[in-house]
Amino acid sequence: MSKPNFTLEAVEWAAWMPTVEAATATPRQLAALDASPQRDSPYFLTLAHDVDSLEQRSPLFHAVMYAPRGLPRADRELATVVVSIINGCVYCSSVHARRFAELTKQPEIIQRLYDEGLGTALQPRQRAIVDFAAKLTRSPQEIGAADMAPLRDVGMDDLQIHDLIHAVAMFANANRLMQTLGEPIPPG
Amino acid sequence: MNEPDIVDAAAGLSSGSPIGMLRRQRDVFVRHTQGSHDVLVVPRDPAGVSLVERAAAALRVATIERDPALSAHYREQLRRAGADAATIAAAGQDAEVSAASPRLAAILRHVALVATAPGSATRARLDALQQLGLAPRDIVTLAQIVAFVSYQVRVAAGLRALAQEVRA
Repeated sequence: MSKPNFTLEAVEWAAWMPTVEAATATPRQLAALDASPQRDSPYFLTLAHDVDSLEQRSPLFHAVMYAPRGLPRADRELATVVVSIINGCVYCSSVHARRFAELTKQPEIIQRLYDEGLGTALQPRQRAIVDFAAKLTRSPQEIGAADMAPLRDVGMDDLQIHDLIHAVAMFANANRLMQTLGEPIPPG
Repeated sequence: MNEPDIVDAAAGLSSGSPIGMLRRQRDVFVRHTQGSHDVLVVPRDPAGVSLVERAAAALRVATIERDPALSAHYREQLRRAGADAATIAAAGQDAEVSAASPRLAAILRHVALVATAPGSATRARLDALQQLGLAPRDIVTLAQIVAFVSYQVRVAAGLRALAQEVRA
């Protein structure tokens, strides 16, 4: 396994198995694809093979990333980039690094995480998010009450912490699908 | 509407507790987390991946992740699906299995790889699973089960810790 080439450029993804074809998809598959972020992507056309699970996962993913109030969107994106770096998911990290950069106008934060690792110097709120995301990803059974303190110190309430937990957990999910059903195509 | 679900049970929450109530502010999360579990582990139509194979895959991931509550849950699901004692024992280990059938052994090996080292998956491994008779749909189902339990373990662990802090 070579070292992942994390990037802020757009990355494509290619499926390792034949995908569902829009022309022969069932009405339920088409409806589930319409509820997904990109109905024509080979990734969702792969997941559409099992329409029962896609019907549940797309609304869950959307709510975890975009539900109103609670954790600000940029914080959710940062957490998902950290998880994707740890798991080595080049595609996921690119997509969500770009969203973070759009929201914050601070692509340099992501570039430093790529270049210098998760220990790079960060503002306190980002430090707390990165550390929590890394520990919940690597050692979920070691997370305890004491791990809430750094999040409280930067002002997070219960709902924000709830949302952070779900964003991290959702990318334990997303990375495993992306990395084991196909592969990233690096920018040309 | 506020009935306890599997995440509540795994995180040690009652639905009327502060964190149980907090979860219900995000009802879409609650509904589709439980819904994902149900269609993946106890579907009405299991299609190409049997109920035993589904529960065995989920048990293997919960075991690898060292979550006692979710391991117990999936062991019970596997028992209810009709698995024999040898299959339950094989799925509930985090090491190589010898007791299972060649197909179940291959499934559990693939599940362990997706759970622990997703970055080392290859197209050749999917080709090998297809040669064992698994259809693309079945391989997607297995990936979704591993991905879901990996998510569920972290949701439960995070909420368990948050509840401990709120009680302290």
